[in-house]
Amino acid sequence: MQTLAQLNLPHLAVEDAAFAADPVSHFREARKTNPWIAASDIGYWVHDYQAIRDLLSQDDKFRPAYDGIVEIMGARGTPWGRFTEEQLISLPPEQHAALRTTFARKFTPRFANQLRPMMRETITRMLDEWAPRERFDFEEFAANFPITIMFTLVGAPVEEIPGIRSSLETLGLAFSMDKSRIPEIHEGYERLERLVQRIIAERRASPDKGTRGDLLDLLIETGDEGNVPERQLQDLVIFFFVAGYDTSKNVLTYTLRLLLDRPDLYERCARDHEYCRKVLDESLRLFNPGSVPRFTDQDVVYRDVLIPKDTMIWFTLNISGRDETAFEDADTFDPDREIDPATRPIPFSLGKHMCLGQHIARAQLQEALHQIAQRLHDPQLAGEYGWRPYPGAWGLKGLPIAFTPTDKTPEPA
Amino acid sequence: MVKVTFVQPDGSEETIDAAPGQSMMEAAQASGIRGIVADCGGNCSCGTCRVFVAPEWRARTGTASELELDMLEMHEERQDGERLCCQITLADDLTGVRVAVPKSQF
Ligand code: HEM
Ligand code: FES
Repeated sequence: MQTLAQLNLPHLAVEDAAFAADPVSHFREARKTNPWIAASDIGYWVHDYQAIRDLLSQDDKFRPAYDGIVEIMGARGTPWGRFTEEQLISLPPEQHAALRTTFARKFTPRFANQLRPMMRETITRMLDEWAPRERFDFEEFAANFPITIMFTLVGAPVEEIPGIRSSLETLGLAFSMDKSRIPEIHEGYERLERLVQRIIAERRASPDKGTRGDLLDLLIETGDEGNVPERQLQDLVIFFFVAGYDTSKNVLTYTLRLLLDRPDLYERCARDHEYCRKVLDESLRLFNPGSVPRFTDQDVVYRDVLIPKDTMIWFTLNISGRDETAFEDADTFDPDREIDPATRPIPFSLGKHMCLGQHIARAQLQEALHQIAQRLHDPQLAGEYGWRPYPGAWGLKGLPIAFTPTDKTPEPA
Repeated sequence: MVKVTFVQPDGSEETIDAAPGQSMMEAAQASGIRGIVADCGGNCSCGTCRVFVAPEWRARTGTASELELDMLEMHEERQDGERLCCQITLADDLTGVRVAVPKSQF
Protein backbone atom coordinates (compact mmCIF):
# COMPACT_ATOMS: atom_id res chain seq x y z
CA MET A 1 0.00 0.00 0.00
CA GLN A 2 1.15 3.54 -0.77
CA THR A 3 0.11 6.80 0.82
CA LEU A 4 -1.21 9.63 -1.32
CA ALA A 5 1.99 11.57 -0.76
CA GLN A 6 4.06 8.71 -2.20
CA LEU A 7 2.13 8.58 -5.45
CA ASN A 8 3.35 10.30 -8.55
CA LEU A 9 0.27 12.43 -9.19
CA PRO A 10 -0.42 14.84 -12.02
CA HIS A 11 -0.77 18.43 -10.79
CA LEU A 12 -3.73 20.36 -12.15
CA ALA A 13 -3.96 24.14 -12.49
CA VAL A 14 -7.69 24.08 -11.70
CA GLU A 15 -7.85 27.80 -11.01
CA ASP A 16 -6.61 28.76 -14.52
CA ALA A 17 -8.94 30.09 -17.19
CA ALA A 18 -7.49 27.57 -19.68
CA PHE A 19 -8.48 24.75 -17.35
CA ALA A 20 -12.05 26.04 -17.00
CA ALA A 21 -12.39 26.18 -20.78
CA ASP A 22 -11.69 22.46 -21.17
CA PRO A 23 -11.40 20.47 -17.94
CA VAL A 24 -12.37 17.23 -19.69
CA SER A 25 -9.16 17.15 -21.76
CA HIS A 26 -7.08 18.06 -18.72
CA PHE A 27 -8.55 15.22 -16.66
CA ARG A 28 -8.13 12.80 -19.57
CA GLU A 29 -4.50 13.77 -19.80
CA ALA A 30 -4.14 13.35 -16.02
CA ARG A 31 -5.50 9.81 -16.29
CA LYS A 32 -2.39 8.78 -18.18
CA THR A 33 -0.39 9.30 -14.97
CA ASN A 34 -3.02 8.15 -12.50
CA PRO A 35 -6.44 6.77 -13.47
CA TRP A 36 -8.53 8.23 -10.67
CA ILE A 37 -6.89 10.95 -8.58
CA ALA A 38 -4.92 14.12 -9.24
CA ALA A 39 -3.39 16.90 -7.12
CA SER A 40 -3.77 20.70 -7.15
CA ASP A 41 -2.90 23.68 -4.97
CA ILE A 42 -6.31 23.48 -3.26
CA GLY A 43 -6.57 19.74 -2.62
CA TYR A 44 -6.87 16.44 -4.44
CA TRP A 45 -9.33 15.69 -7.25
CA VAL A 46 -11.09 12.34 -7.64
CA HIS A 47 -12.29 12.30 -11.24
CA ASP A 48 -13.01 8.70 -12.17
CA TYR A 49 -16.76 7.91 -12.28
CA GLN A 50 -16.51 4.64 -10.36
CA ALA A 51 -14.12 6.08 -7.78
CA ILE A 52 -16.53 8.96 -7.14
CA ARG A 53 -19.43 6.55 -6.75
CA ASP A 54 -17.44 4.26 -4.44
CA LEU A 55 -16.10 7.02 -2.21
CA LEU A 56 -18.63 9.85 -2.14
CA SER A 57 -21.42 7.50 -1.06
CA GLN A 58 -19.50 6.64 2.12
CA ASP A 59 -20.97 9.34 4.32
CA ASP A 60 -19.31 7.91 7.43
CA LYS A 61 -15.82 8.46 6.01
CA PHE A 62 -16.11 11.94 4.46
CA ARG A 63 -17.48 15.25 5.68
CA PRO A 64 -18.35 18.30 3.58
CA ALA A 65 -15.37 20.66 3.45
CA TYR A 66 -17.06 24.03 3.05
CA ASP A 67 -15.29 25.14 6.23
CA GLY A 68 -12.03 24.32 4.43
CA ILE A 69 -12.95 26.81 1.73
CA VAL A 70 -13.64 29.53 4.30
CA GLU A 71 -10.20 28.78 5.73
CA ILE A 72 -8.47 28.98 2.33
CA MET A 73 -10.27 32.27 1.65
CA GLY A 74 -9.19 33.61 5.06
CA ALA A 75 -12.80 34.45 5.96
CA ARG A 76 -13.19 32.79 9.37
CA GLY A 77 -15.41 34.82 11.72
CA THR A 78 -16.98 36.98 8.99
CA PRO A 79 -20.76 36.82 8.38
CA TRP A 80 -20.23 34.93 5.10
CA GLY A 81 -17.73 32.63 6.80
CA ARG A 82 -20.15 31.92 9.63
CA PHE A 83 -22.98 31.17 7.20
CA THR A 84 -20.81 28.88 5.09
CA GLU A 85 -19.70 26.95 8.16
CA GLU A 86 -23.21 26.66 9.62
CA GLN A 87 -25.38 26.17 6.50
CA LEU A 88 -27.36 22.93 6.27
CA ILE A 89 -24.66 21.06 4.36
CA SER A 90 -21.97 21.93 6.90
CA LEU A 91 -23.84 20.99 10.08
CA PRO A 92 -22.62 18.11 12.27
CA PRO A 93 -24.28 14.79 11.24
CA GLU A 94 -27.09 14.72 13.82
CA GLN A 95 -28.10 18.34 13.32
CA HIS A 96 -27.95 17.90 9.57
CA ALA A 97 -30.18 14.83 9.69
CA ALA A 98 -32.69 16.52 12.00
CA LEU A 99 -32.95 19.66 9.90
CA ARG A 100 -33.10 17.82 6.60
CA THR A 101 -35.77 15.42 7.89
CA THR A 102 -37.81 18.34 9.20
CA PHE A 103 -38.04 19.91 5.75
CA ALA A 104 -37.82 16.84 3.49
CA ARG A 105 -41.51 16.75 2.65
CA LYS A 106 -41.35 20.22 1.11
CA PHE A 107 -38.85 19.05 -1.50
CA THR A 108 -40.42 15.89 -2.87
CA PRO A 109 -41.43 15.27 -6.49
CA ARG A 110 -45.06 15.74 -5.43
CA PHE A 111 -44.36 19.19 -4.09
CA ALA A 112 -42.26 20.03 -7.17
CA ASN A 113 -45.10 18.88 -9.44
CA GLN A 114 -47.50 21.21 -7.65
CA LEU A 115 -45.21 24.10 -8.53
CA ARG A 116 -45.20 23.37 -12.25
CA PRO A 117 -48.06 25.75 -13.19
CA MET A 118 -46.25 28.59 -11.38
CA MET A 119 -43.00 27.66 -13.14
CA ARG A 120 -44.75 27.70 -16.54
CA GLU A 121 -46.34 31.06 -15.81
CA THR A 122 -42.99 32.50 -14.74
CA ILE A 123 -41.11 31.41 -17.85
CA THR A 124 -44.00 32.48 -20.10
CA ARG A 125 -44.01 35.96 -18.57
CA MET A 126 -40.25 36.21 -19.04
CA LEU A 127 -40.52 35.07 -22.65
CA ASP A 128 -43.25 37.62 -23.33
CA GLU A 129 -40.80 40.27 -22.23
CA TRP A 130 -37.58 38.94 -23.79
CA ALA A 131 -38.61 37.16 -27.00
CA PRO A 132 -39.42 40.32 -29.03
CA ARG A 133 -35.73 41.35 -28.75
CA GLU A 134 -34.73 38.70 -31.33
CA ARG A 135 -31.27 38.44 -29.81
CA PHE A 136 -29.95 38.43 -26.29
CA ASP A 137 -27.47 36.85 -23.94
CA PHE A 138 -29.15 33.59 -23.07
CA GLU A 139 -27.16 33.24 -19.85
CA GLU A 140 -28.60 36.51 -18.61
CA PHE A 141 -32.08 35.41 -19.56
CA ALA A 142 -31.56 32.03 -17.86
CA ALA A 143 -30.26 33.75 -14.72
CA ASN A 144 -33.55 35.54 -14.18
CA PHE A 145 -35.54 32.33 -14.20
CA PRO A 146 -34.46 30.40 -11.05
CA ILE A 147 -34.25 33.62 -9.08
CA THR A 148 -37.77 34.67 -10.05
CA ILE A 149 -39.03 31.22 -9.06
CA MET A 150 -37.28 31.51 -5.70
CA PHE A 151 -38.68 35.01 -5.13
CA THR A 152 -42.15 33.70 -5.90
CA LEU A 153 -41.72 30.73 -3.57
CA VAL A 154 -40.88 32.94 -0.61
CA GLY A 155 -43.00 35.97 -1.55
CA ALA A 156 -40.02 38.34 -1.85
CA PRO A 157 -40.49 41.74 -3.56
CA VAL A 158 -39.59 41.39 -7.27
CA GLU A 159 -38.05 44.87 -7.43
CA GLU A 160 -35.16 43.43 -5.45
CA ILE A 161 -34.34 40.75 -8.01
CA PRO A 162 -31.54 42.71 -9.75
CA GLY A 163 -29.72 43.47 -6.48
CA ILE A 164 -30.03 39.94 -5.16
CA ARG A 165 -28.99 38.54 -8.52
CA SER A 166 -25.79 40.46 -8.31
CA SER A 167 -25.26 39.12 -4.75
CA LEU A 168 -25.76 35.58 -5.99
CA GLU A 169 -23.40 36.12 -8.91
CA THR A 170 -20.71 37.15 -6.45
CA LEU A 171 -21.44 34.34 -4.00
CA GLY A 172 -21.29 31.85 -6.87
CA LEU A 173 -17.70 32.89 -7.40
CA ALA A 174 -16.81 32.50 -3.73
CA PHE A 175 -15.48 28.98 -4.25
CA SER A 176 -13.24 30.00 -7.11
CA MET A 177 -10.59 30.55 -4.42
CA ASP A 178 -9.84 34.06 -5.60
CA LYS A 179 -9.19 36.03 -2.40
CA SER A 180 -9.42 39.38 -4.15
CA ARG A 181 -13.17 38.80 -4.33
CA ILE A 182 -13.56 38.72 -0.55
CA PRO A 183 -14.87 42.30 -0.06
CA GLU A 184 -17.60 41.87 -2.69
CA ILE A 185 -18.46 38.44 -1.30
CA HIS A 186 -19.14 40.02 2.08
CA GLU A 187 -21.21 42.78 0.59
CA GLY A 188 -23.18 40.32 -1.54
CA TYR A 189 -23.78 38.00 1.37
CA GLU A 190 -24.96 40.76 3.66
CA ARG A 191 -27.48 42.05 1.14
CA LEU A 192 -28.95 38.57 0.78
CA GLU A 193 -29.00 38.04 4.54
CA ARG A 194 -30.84 41.34 5.08
CA LEU A 195 -33.48 40.42 2.52
CA VAL A 196 -34.06 36.97 4.01
CA GLN A 197 -34.23 38.29 7.58
CA ARG A 198 -36.69 40.92 6.49
CA ILE A 199 -39.05 38.65 4.54
CA ILE A 200 -39.19 36.14 7.39
CA ALA A 201 -39.81 38.86 9.99
CA GLU A 202 -42.44 40.54 7.82
CA ARG A 203 -44.23 37.27 7.18
CA ARG A 204 -44.26 36.44 10.88
CA ALA A 205 -45.78 39.85 11.63
CA SER A 206 -48.24 39.75 8.75
CA PRO A 207 -51.94 39.04 9.28
CA ASP A 208 -51.92 36.61 6.35
CA LYS A 209 -49.11 34.53 7.80
CA GLY A 210 -49.83 30.88 7.10
CA THR A 211 -52.60 31.60 4.62
CA ARG A 212 -50.56 31.96 1.45
CA GLY A 213 -49.38 28.37 1.49
CA ASP A 214 -46.15 29.28 -0.31
CA LEU A 215 -42.79 27.79 0.56
CA LEU A 216 -42.05 30.49 3.12
CA ASP A 217 -45.28 29.76 5.01
CA LEU A 218 -44.47 26.08 4.95
CA LEU A 219 -40.88 26.60 6.09
CA ILE A 220 -41.92 28.87 8.97
CA GLU A 221 -44.66 26.51 10.05
CA THR A 222 -42.51 23.38 9.77
CA GLY A 223 -39.60 25.13 11.46
CA ASP A 224 -41.75 26.23 14.37
CA GLU A 225 -43.20 22.75 14.81
CA GLY A 226 -39.71 21.30 14.82
CA ASN A 227 -38.32 24.01 17.16
CA VAL A 228 -35.82 25.09 14.52
CA PRO A 229 -33.94 28.18 15.79
CA GLU A 230 -34.64 31.39 13.82
CA ARG A 231 -31.00 31.71 12.76
CA GLN A 232 -31.12 28.21 11.23
CA LEU A 233 -34.34 28.98 9.39
CA GLN A 234 -32.77 32.14 7.96
CA ASP A 235 -29.64 30.23 6.95
CA LEU A 236 -31.76 27.64 5.23
CA VAL A 237 -33.63 30.19 3.14
CA ILE A 238 -30.34 31.92 2.26
CA PHE A 239 -28.94 28.55 1.28
CA PHE A 240 -31.88 27.85 -1.05
CA PHE A 241 -31.17 31.09 -2.88
CA VAL A 242 -27.47 30.27 -3.20
CA ALA A 243 -27.84 26.55 -3.97
CA GLY A 244 -30.48 26.95 -6.65
CA TYR A 245 -29.17 29.94 -8.59
CA ASP A 246 -26.00 29.32 -10.64
CA THR A 247 -26.68 25.61 -10.65
CA SER A 248 -30.02 25.91 -12.47
CA LYS A 249 -28.86 28.84 -14.62
CA ASN A 250 -25.68 27.12 -15.77
CA VAL A 251 -27.48 23.88 -16.61
CA LEU A 252 -30.15 25.68 -18.64
CA THR A 253 -27.51 27.71 -20.47
CA TYR A 254 -25.33 24.70 -21.28
CA THR A 255 -28.38 22.73 -22.43
CA LEU A 256 -29.24 25.45 -24.91
CA ARG A 257 -25.60 25.49 -26.09
CA LEU A 258 -25.90 21.76 -26.85
CA LEU A 259 -29.20 22.25 -28.64
CA LEU A 260 -27.87 25.07 -30.85
CA ASP A 261 -25.95 22.32 -32.66
CA ARG A 262 -28.97 20.03 -32.79
CA PRO A 263 -31.95 21.96 -34.23
CA ASP A 264 -33.78 18.68 -34.79
CA LEU A 265 -33.75 17.87 -31.07
CA TYR A 266 -34.55 21.46 -30.13
CA GLU A 267 -37.68 21.38 -32.27
CA ARG A 268 -38.72 18.17 -30.64
CA CYS A 269 -38.41 19.88 -27.24
CA ALA A 270 -41.06 22.36 -28.39
CA ARG A 271 -43.50 19.55 -29.17
CA ASP A 272 -42.67 16.97 -26.56
CA HIS A 273 -42.69 17.82 -22.84
CA GLU A 274 -41.50 14.36 -21.79
CA TYR A 275 -38.63 14.51 -24.27
CA CYS A 276 -37.40 17.68 -22.53
CA ARG A 277 -36.80 15.56 -19.45
CA LYS A 278 -34.61 13.18 -21.41
CA VAL A 279 -32.70 16.04 -22.99
CA LEU A 280 -32.01 17.47 -19.53
CA ASP A 281 -30.93 14.11 -18.11
CA GLU A 282 -28.46 13.74 -20.95
CA SER A 283 -27.33 17.34 -20.68
CA LEU A 284 -26.71 16.85 -16.94
CA ARG A 285 -24.51 13.87 -17.79
CA LEU A 286 -22.40 15.87 -20.25
CA PHE A 287 -22.22 18.90 -18.02
CA ASN A 288 -23.16 19.99 -14.54
CA PRO A 289 -21.74 22.78 -12.40
CA GLY A 290 -20.55 20.96 -9.32
CA SER A 291 -17.32 19.63 -7.94
CA VAL A 292 -17.99 18.89 -4.30
CA PRO A 293 -15.39 19.31 -1.55
CA ARG A 294 -14.91 16.81 1.26
CA PHE A 295 -12.47 16.10 4.06
CA THR A 296 -11.65 12.50 4.93
CA ASP A 297 -13.04 11.98 8.44
CA GLN A 298 -10.72 9.03 9.06
CA ASP A 299 -7.88 7.28 7.22
CA VAL A 300 -9.41 5.88 4.02
CA VAL A 301 -7.89 3.13 1.89
CA TYR A 302 -9.00 2.94 -1.72
CA ARG A 303 -7.42 1.04 -4.60
CA ASP A 304 -4.54 0.26 -2.29
CA VAL A 305 -3.84 3.92 -1.57
CA LEU A 306 -3.99 5.36 1.94
CA ILE A 307 -5.68 8.77 2.11
CA PRO A 308 -4.93 10.18 5.57
CA LYS A 309 -7.61 11.71 7.79
CA ASP A 310 -8.38 15.40 7.11
CA THR A 311 -7.24 15.37 3.48
CA MET A 312 -9.22 17.75 1.27
CA ILE A 313 -10.68 16.02 -1.77
CA TRP A 314 -12.85 17.39 -4.57
CA PHE A 315 -15.22 15.05 -6.38
CA THR A 316 -15.74 16.16 -9.96
CA LEU A 317 -19.42 15.44 -10.50
CA ASN A 318 -19.34 17.93 -13.35
CA ILE A 319 -17.15 15.90 -15.69
CA SER A 320 -17.92 12.44 -14.25
CA GLY A 321 -20.33 11.77 -17.09
CA ARG A 322 -17.51 12.19 -19.62
CA ASP A 323 -15.54 9.28 -18.20
CA GLU A 324 -14.82 7.07 -21.21
CA THR A 325 -14.27 4.05 -18.99
CA ALA A 326 -17.88 4.33 -17.75
CA PHE A 327 -19.79 5.76 -20.73
CA GLU A 328 -19.76 4.70 -24.35
CA ASP A 329 -19.31 7.60 -26.76
CA ALA A 330 -19.00 9.77 -23.68
CA ASP A 331 -18.89 13.05 -25.62
CA THR A 332 -21.92 12.35 -27.79
CA PHE A 333 -25.15 14.16 -26.91
CA ASP A 334 -27.82 11.51 -27.28
CA PRO A 335 -30.97 12.02 -25.21
CA ASP A 336 -32.24 8.58 -26.27
CA ARG A 337 -29.23 6.86 -24.76
CA GLU A 338 -30.27 4.05 -22.47
CA ILE A 339 -29.25 4.67 -18.86
CA ASP A 340 -27.40 1.74 -17.34
CA PRO A 341 -28.32 1.57 -13.64
CA ALA A 342 -24.67 0.88 -12.80
CA THR A 343 -23.60 4.20 -14.34
CA ARG A 344 -26.47 6.51 -13.59
CA PRO A 345 -25.16 10.08 -13.91
CA ILE A 346 -24.57 11.86 -10.58
CA PRO A 347 -25.11 15.62 -11.13
CA PHE A 348 -26.89 15.98 -7.77
CA SER A 349 -24.23 14.19 -5.70
CA LEU A 350 -24.64 11.00 -3.71
CA GLY A 351 -25.44 10.05 -0.14
CA LYS A 352 -27.03 12.07 2.60
CA HIS A 353 -26.14 15.48 1.11
CA MET A 354 -27.67 14.64 -2.24
CA CYS A 355 -29.30 17.80 -3.55
CA LEU A 356 -32.44 18.55 -1.58
CA GLY A 357 -33.69 20.75 -4.41
CA GLN A 358 -33.19 18.24 -7.22
CA HIS A 359 -36.88 17.58 -7.85
CA ILE A 360 -37.63 21.31 -7.93
CA ALA A 361 -34.60 21.85 -10.18
CA ARG A 362 -35.59 19.10 -12.60
CA ALA A 363 -39.19 20.35 -12.77
CA GLN A 364 -38.24 23.99 -13.37
CA LEU A 365 -35.69 23.12 -16.04
CA GLN A 366 -38.14 20.88 -17.86
CA GLU A 367 -40.91 23.49 -17.81
CA ALA A 368 -38.49 26.19 -18.96
CA LEU A 369 -37.00 24.21 -21.82
CA HIS A 370 -40.40 23.22 -23.18
CA GLN A 371 -41.61 26.84 -23.29
CA ILE A 372 -38.33 28.28 -24.57
CA ALA A 373 -38.25 25.85 -27.48
CA GLN A 374 -41.78 26.95 -28.42
CA ARG A 375 -41.02 30.65 -28.31
CA LEU A 376 -37.44 31.16 -29.50
CA HIS A 377 -37.46 29.67 -32.97
CA ASP A 378 -34.30 28.59 -34.82
CA PRO A 379 -31.76 29.94 -32.30
CA GLN A 380 -28.23 30.55 -33.56
CA LEU A 381 -25.01 31.32 -31.76
CA ALA A 382 -24.50 35.07 -32.25
CA GLY A 383 -21.12 35.73 -30.67
CA GLU A 384 -18.49 34.31 -28.39
CA TYR A 385 -18.87 32.87 -24.95
CA GLY A 386 -16.46 32.18 -22.11
CA TRP A 387 -16.25 29.96 -19.04
CA ARG A 388 -16.69 30.54 -15.31
CA PRO A 389 -13.96 29.43 -12.90
CA TYR A 390 -13.81 25.64 -12.63
CA PRO A 391 -13.93 25.14 -8.82
CA GLY A 392 -17.35 26.12 -7.47
CA ALA A 393 -20.23 26.72 -9.85
CA TRP A 394 -18.65 26.03 -13.23
CA GLY A 395 -20.40 26.85 -16.50
CA LEU A 396 -20.64 29.08 -19.54
CA LYS A 397 -20.07 32.79 -19.19
CA GLY A 398 -22.44 34.46 -21.60
CA LEU A 399 -24.23 32.81 -24.51
CA PRO A 400 -25.24 35.36 -27.17
CA ILE A 401 -28.00 34.03 -29.39
CA ALA A 402 -30.20 35.31 -32.20
CA PHE A 403 -33.56 33.73 -33.06
CA THR A 404 -36.97 34.30 -34.60
CA PRO A 405 -39.64 34.93 -32.00
CA THR A 406 -42.80 32.90 -32.42
CA ASP A 407 -46.15 33.49 -30.83
CA LYS A 408 -47.00 30.95 -28.27
CA THR A 409 -48.77 28.10 -30.00
CA PRO A 410 -51.48 26.46 -27.94
CA GLU A 411 -50.34 23.15 -26.55
CA PRO A 412 -52.05 20.08 -27.95
CA ALA A 413 -54.64 18.82 -25.49
CA MET B 1 -31.20 -14.77 7.93
CA VAL B 2 -33.95 -13.28 5.80
CA LYS B 3 -34.25 -14.59 2.25
CA VAL B 4 -35.12 -11.93 -0.33
CA THR B 5 -35.76 -12.70 -4.00
CA PHE B 6 -35.24 -9.95 -6.62
CA VAL B 7 -36.85 -10.52 -10.02
CA GLN B 8 -35.18 -8.61 -12.86
CA PRO B 9 -37.12 -7.18 -15.82
CA ASP B 10 -35.87 -10.08 -18.00
CA GLY B 11 -37.42 -12.57 -15.56
CA SER B 12 -34.15 -13.75 -14.03
CA GLU B 13 -34.17 -14.14 -10.25
CA GLU B 14 -31.63 -13.81 -7.51
CA THR B 15 -32.19 -14.82 -3.90
CA ILE B 16 -29.98 -13.33 -1.22
CA ASP B 17 -29.56 -13.89 2.50
CA ALA B 18 -29.80 -10.69 4.51
CA ALA B 19 -29.48 -9.89 8.19
CA PRO B 20 -32.67 -8.85 9.99
CA GLY B 21 -32.62 -5.13 10.82
CA GLN B 22 -31.00 -4.16 7.51
CA SER B 23 -33.06 -2.29 4.98
CA MET B 24 -33.90 -4.18 1.80
CA MET B 25 -31.88 -1.56 -0.09
CA GLU B 26 -28.76 -2.16 2.03
CA ALA B 27 -29.09 -5.89 1.53
CA ALA B 28 -29.48 -5.44 -2.24
CA GLN B 29 -26.46 -3.18 -2.45
CA ALA B 30 -24.32 -5.51 -0.36
CA SER B 31 -25.11 -8.30 -2.82
CA GLY B 32 -24.73 -6.14 -5.90
CA ILE B 33 -28.32 -6.54 -7.11
CA ARG B 34 -28.60 -4.83 -10.47
CA GLY B 35 -31.05 -1.95 -10.78
CA ILE B 36 -31.15 -0.84 -7.13
CA VAL B 37 -29.31 2.45 -7.67
CA ALA B 38 -29.97 4.02 -4.24
CA ASP B 39 -28.07 7.26 -4.90
CA CYS B 40 -29.04 8.95 -1.62
CA GLY B 41 -27.93 5.99 0.48
CA GLY B 42 -31.31 5.30 2.10
CA ASN B 43 -32.46 8.81 2.97
CA CYS B 44 -35.73 8.60 1.07
CA SER B 45 -34.74 11.50 -1.12
CA CYS B 46 -33.57 10.11 -4.48
CA GLY B 47 -36.33 7.66 -5.36
CA THR B 48 -33.87 5.34 -7.16
CA CYS B 49 -34.40 2.22 -5.03
CA ARG B 50 -37.91 1.47 -6.27
CA VAL B 51 -39.21 -2.11 -6.26
CA PHE B 52 -42.60 -3.78 -6.75
CA VAL B 53 -43.56 -6.03 -3.89
CA ALA B 54 -45.37 -9.26 -4.87
CA PRO B 55 -49.07 -9.05 -3.89
CA GLU B 56 -48.95 -11.79 -1.25
CA TRP B 57 -46.17 -9.94 0.62
CA ARG B 58 -47.61 -6.45 0.69
CA ALA B 59 -49.37 -6.85 4.01
CA ARG B 60 -46.10 -7.81 5.67
CA THR B 61 -43.86 -5.19 4.06
CA GLY B 62 -46.30 -2.59 5.35
CA THR B 63 -47.43 0.61 3.68
CA ALA B 64 -45.40 3.54 2.44
CA SER B 65 -45.08 6.65 4.60
CA GLU B 66 -46.39 9.99 3.32
CA LEU B 67 -42.85 11.08 2.48
CA GLU B 68 -42.26 7.89 0.53
CA LEU B 69 -45.54 8.31 -1.39
CA ASP B 70 -44.60 11.89 -2.27
CA MET B 71 -41.22 10.65 -3.52
CA LEU B 72 -42.78 7.94 -5.66
CA GLU B 73 -44.54 10.65 -7.65
CA MET B 74 -41.34 11.15 -9.61
CA HIS B 75 -42.16 8.10 -11.68
CA GLU B 76 -44.45 8.55 -14.66
CA GLU B 77 -45.97 5.09 -14.46
CA ARG B 78 -47.33 4.16 -11.09
CA GLN B 79 -47.80 0.53 -10.18
CA ASP B 80 -49.45 -1.39 -7.36
CA GLY B 81 -47.06 -2.61 -4.71
CA GLU B 82 -44.39 -0.02 -5.49
CA ARG B 83 -42.09 0.88 -2.63
CA LEU B 84 -38.74 2.50 -2.04
CA CYS B 85 -36.85 -0.46 -0.66
CA CYS B 86 -34.62 1.68 1.60
CA GLN B 87 -37.81 2.16 3.61
CA ILE B 88 -38.47 -1.57 4.11
CA THR B 89 -36.73 -3.00 7.15
CA LEU B 90 -36.07 -6.71 6.90
CA ALA B 91 -37.35 -8.88 9.72
CA ASP B 92 -37.60 -12.65 10.12
CA ASP B 93 -41.26 -12.71 9.10
CA LEU B 94 -40.25 -11.35 5.70
CA THR B 95 -38.15 -14.37 4.75
CA GLY B 96 -39.14 -15.49 1.27
CA VAL B 97 -40.29 -12.00 0.22
CA ARG B 98 -40.32 -11.43 -3.56
CA VAL B 99 -39.90 -8.06 -5.24
CA ALA B 100 -39.54 -7.04 -8.88
CA VAL B 101 -36.88 -4.54 -9.95
CA PRO B 102 -38.05 -1.95 -12.52
CA LYS B 103 -36.41 -1.63 -15.92
CA SER B 104 -35.32 1.89 -15.06
CA GLN B 105 -35.32 4.00 -11.91
CA PHE B 106 -36.43 7.21 -13.63
C1 HEM C 1 -29.67 21.91 -11.74
C2 HEM C 1 -29.68 22.49 -10.57
C3 HEM C 1 -28.95 21.98 -9.35
C4 HEM C 1 -27.81 21.23 -9.27
C5 HEM C 1 -26.95 20.68 -10.42
C6 HEM C 1 -27.55 21.02 -7.86
C7 HEM C 1 -26.48 20.29 -7.36
C8 HEM C 1 -26.27 20.02 -6.03
C9 HEM C 1 -25.18 19.23 -5.53
C10 HEM C 1 -24.10 18.58 -6.37
C11 HEM C 1 -25.29 19.18 -4.18
C12 HEM C 1 -24.39 18.43 -3.20
C13 HEM C 1 -23.29 19.24 -2.69
C14 HEM C 1 -22.36 18.39 -1.89
O1 HEM C 1 -22.54 17.17 -1.82
O2 HEM C 1 -21.41 18.95 -1.30
C15 HEM C 1 -26.46 19.95 -3.83
C16 HEM C 1 -26.90 20.13 -2.53
C17 HEM C 1 -27.99 20.88 -2.20
N1 HEM C 1 -28.84 21.55 -3.07
FE1 HEM C 1 -28.74 21.51 -5.09
N2 HEM C 1 -28.51 21.66 -7.13
C18 HEM C 1 -29.39 22.26 -7.99
C19 HEM C 1 -30.50 23.01 -7.65
C20 HEM C 1 -30.94 23.23 -6.37
C21 HEM C 1 -32.12 23.98 -6.02
C22 HEM C 1 -33.07 24.63 -7.02
C23 HEM C 1 -32.19 24.00 -4.65
C24 HEM C 1 -33.20 24.65 -3.71
C25 HEM C 1 -34.44 24.83 -3.96
C26 HEM C 1 -31.07 23.22 -4.15
C27 HEM C 1 -30.82 22.98 -2.82
C28 HEM C 1 -29.80 22.19 -2.33
C29 HEM C 1 -29.58 21.93 -0.93
C30 HEM C 1 -30.41 22.45 0.22
C31 HEM C 1 -28.43 21.11 -0.84
C32 HEM C 1 -27.76 20.58 0.43
C33 HEM C 1 -28.32 19.27 0.86
C34 HEM C 1 -27.73 18.70 2.12
O3 HEM C 1 -26.60 19.02 2.52
O4 HEM C 1 -28.42 17.90 2.76
N3 HEM C 1 -30.34 22.77 -5.22
N4 HEM C 1 -27.05 20.45 -4.97
S1 FES D 1 -32.02 5.05 -1.50
FE1 FES D 1 -32.68 7.03 -2.08
S2 FES D 1 -34.81 6.87 -1.81
FE2 FES D 1 -34.14 4.90 -1.25
